Amino acid sequence: MTNRSASACLLILSLAPAAAQVSYEQMLKADPGNWLTYSGSYNSQRHSLLKQVNTTNVHALVPKWIYHVPGAGRLESVPVVVDGVMYLSQPNEVHTLDARTGRLIWQYRREPALRRGPNRGVAVYGNRVYFTTPDAYLVALDARTGNFLWQSKIAEAKEGYWSPAAPLVINGKIIAGVAPGDYGMNGFLDAYDASTGERLWRWNAIPRPGEPGSDTWAGDSWKTGGGDTWLTGSYDPQLNLIYWGIGNPAPDFNGEMRKGDNLYTECMVALDADTGRLKWYFQFTPHDVADWDAVEIPVLVDATLQGRPRKLLVQANRNGFYYVLDRTNGKFLLGTPFVKSVNWAKNLTAEGRPILVPGVEPSLQGTKICPSTSGATNWMSPAYNPDTGLFYVAAIEGCGINTKSYEKFRPGGFPFDATGYEESPEEPRQLYVRALELTTGKLKWEFKQIGSRAYGAGLLSTAGALIFAGCDQGIFTALDANTGTPLWHFNTGQAISASPMTYTFKGRQYVAVEAGSNVIAFALFDE
Amino acid sequence: MLFQVLRWTAAGLLLASASTAQQQPEQSVNPVGRSEEAIAEGHELYNRTCTVCHGLNGAAGDRGPALGGGRSYVIRSDNSIFDAIQNGISGAAMPASGLRPMEIWKIVAYIRSLRATASDAFVPGDIARGERIFREKGRCGSCHMIGGHGGVAGPDLSNVGGERTLASIRDSLTKPRLQIPRGYQPVEVVAIDGRKIAGIAKNNDNFSLQLLDSQDRLQLFTSDELREITYKRESLMPSDYGTVLVPAELQDLLAFVSRQVVHKAERRRRTQEDDQ
Repeated sequence: MTNRSASACLLILSLAPAAAQVSYEQMLKADPGNWLTYSGSYNSQRHSLLKQVNTTNVHALVPKWIYHVPGAGRLESVPVVVDGVMYLSQPNEVHTLDARTGRLIWQYRREPALRRGPNRGVAVYGNRVYFTTPDAYLVALDARTGNFLWQSKIAEAKEGYWSPAAPLVINGKIIAGVAPGDYGMNGFLDAYDASTGERLWRWNAIPRPGEPGSDTWAGDSWKTGGGDTWLTGSYDPQLNLIYWGIGNPAPDFNGEMRKGDNLYTECMVALDADTGRLKWYFQFTPHDVADWDAVEIPVLVDATLQGRPRKLLVQANRNGFYYVLDRTNGKFLLGTPFVKSVNWAKNLTAEGRPILVPGVEPSLQGTKICPSTSGATNWMSPAYNPDTGLFYVAAIEGCGINTKSYEKFRPGGFPFDATGYEESPEEPRQLYVRALELTTGKLKWEFKQIGSRAYGAGLLSTAGALIFAGCDQGIFTALDANTGTPLWHFNTGQAISASPMTYTFKGRQYVAVEAGSNVIAFALFDE
Repeated sequence: MLFQVLRWTAAGLLLASASTAQQQPEQSVNPVGRSEEAIAEGHELYNRTCTVCHGLNGAAGDRGPALGGGRSYVIRSDNSIFDAIQNGISGAAMPASGLRPMEIWKIVAYIRSLRATASDAFVPGDIARGERIFREKGRCGSCHMIGGHGGVAGPDLSNVGGERTLASIRDSLTKPRLQIPRGYQPVEVVAIDGRKIAGIAKNNDNFSLQLLDSQDRLQLFTSDELREITYKRESLMPSDYGTVLVPAELQDLLAFVSRQVVHKAERRRRTQEDDQ
């Protein structure tokens, strides 16, 4: 481009409205009328202050519209809503809707498309929509029209990398992660300039020889260590720390091939948002051999614990334990099982390290491990309601039979599991919604999702004292946040694997959820 | 018009692109090139010798397929089309033509042109000057984006050379359009409170309207919030570039626009309307 035409182009850009559609200040405030990030707010509490729909009137909740995503399988994204415009994604696609009517405004489809899923959502900042792709790119689109603006290559898809998580926007930076550690690809977390797509920093989840933590990998095992970043994390603006859960070590099921604690797999890490430097880490499952990942959403809560006010980070981990950490320094404060099916650890030490039960590890002939590899919970988002002081989680009871082998790593994007698992026929999976006391982890109530033997949906909490939950049976349910009593339900007709969200437009509150290949928005019946 | 996306060619284009996306665009081996003159002569030869079986102007005939419609002809190389005409297709009804090689090459040029997009066509002109005309005198960039820069009122043209034929791009610039494509219908509304808003209907039905206003903001209405809706009969796309620009300028603009192709990573979406 010549200088002359470049300046003409700048002139055109300067004529566009200067007002940014979504600003960092808006994201800090987490305006309840909008749903601006994957988890609704930086603290990932998934608690909306909206209460037009509440325990007294939720029985009158009716579907207002259904949008079918053509060709979609099971959607797993969480829509973002900005001023009545809804942005949702499936792999390689973004669909933008009028959030009041479900009518399509624009859609973007990436071609040619590498088929791989799921995609868990978009980020919106300024007048741009960001999403990551099955071929491991970060893509920026114009939020008004879906025009393609730029893309940045996160990682080499030919090596096996891809990127399913919704990016997180932090003050002009786009934070994006990768998958899959299961292929022996080493994970990392990146920050990109929201305007240009230039990479600003990268934090490597597997330390290289000589770096702190490298002594937790025997021999060259760090080279194929895994540790991916496949689910969106949280952010504390005061501490300027990003909290992100790190995936499993590879090979998944044979620990002999990677002796040591295998840092920073199975960790919660706190990274400086400006530099990507590691501030602290906490490892939930050192030397994991059950492929549990520790990517589950970190929920940030300020609460009094052990007699003093603290900045907490809580996580219901796939390994079956509920953890409470001090998010300023990563110190372990409390840990207790939130499922009954835990057979691999007797308890946790005062530092939070599991006290292992000998022999509960994958074997050549198969060993029962509880929870199952599919986990005591998984990508399904939890929620926290400050009014009830309860932490809500989609919990799964059940066990798996795990086997191991001595598979060799193959470069080029092949599974490096060293064998696998199947659900135990004796203890099949059973889905629950469980409410735990935030500061003790004690069970306050539970709601059994009868008939559900697979992954379910995440949870939404509202100031209307409601918890919205879904399951693989397709039933979308509103529960009383204090008691777990079901107050309303709707059969969506397709399995629900995504987490619900809520927003307002022109005075009306909507609750939306992706069910199978549809998005459905509910509101109170219009008399 | 420039707004129109040739959706029906998309599947064929994707096949065509699959073979070329990994490499540089294919260099034609055709000694007569792809000039309009060669194509015209090929057209005449084609209509004289091929239409008995294949039908006139590349349409389907009594005994042979439509060469302008079948996607397999798009991905055939010049050499393979030449070979089929010179030697016939073994096992099929296609005979050896008996034509001289240079005649066959002209027919090859014509067949290729039937489905060629602008980026495959021979488009003379000064590309750099064409870009300046796009940004400045033509003011195309105030409505259209190329490579992430430009306006949002009209379609993104980053891949227009890979989607549209040269003739359709030229028509877009010089002839009034008969139909305004979905998503680009100019509209003016009067809200219940008396506000007047002009823009483009991105979508509309009996009960709601999704509008991109003249300040490039999305505005969402239900029909009970609007007092009046007026759909404009004319597209916002000017059709007078044949007079606004001198012929050389128009040619330069065509040369620039025709070469807007996004290779493999960012090919334009396929058939939006089919899937709605």
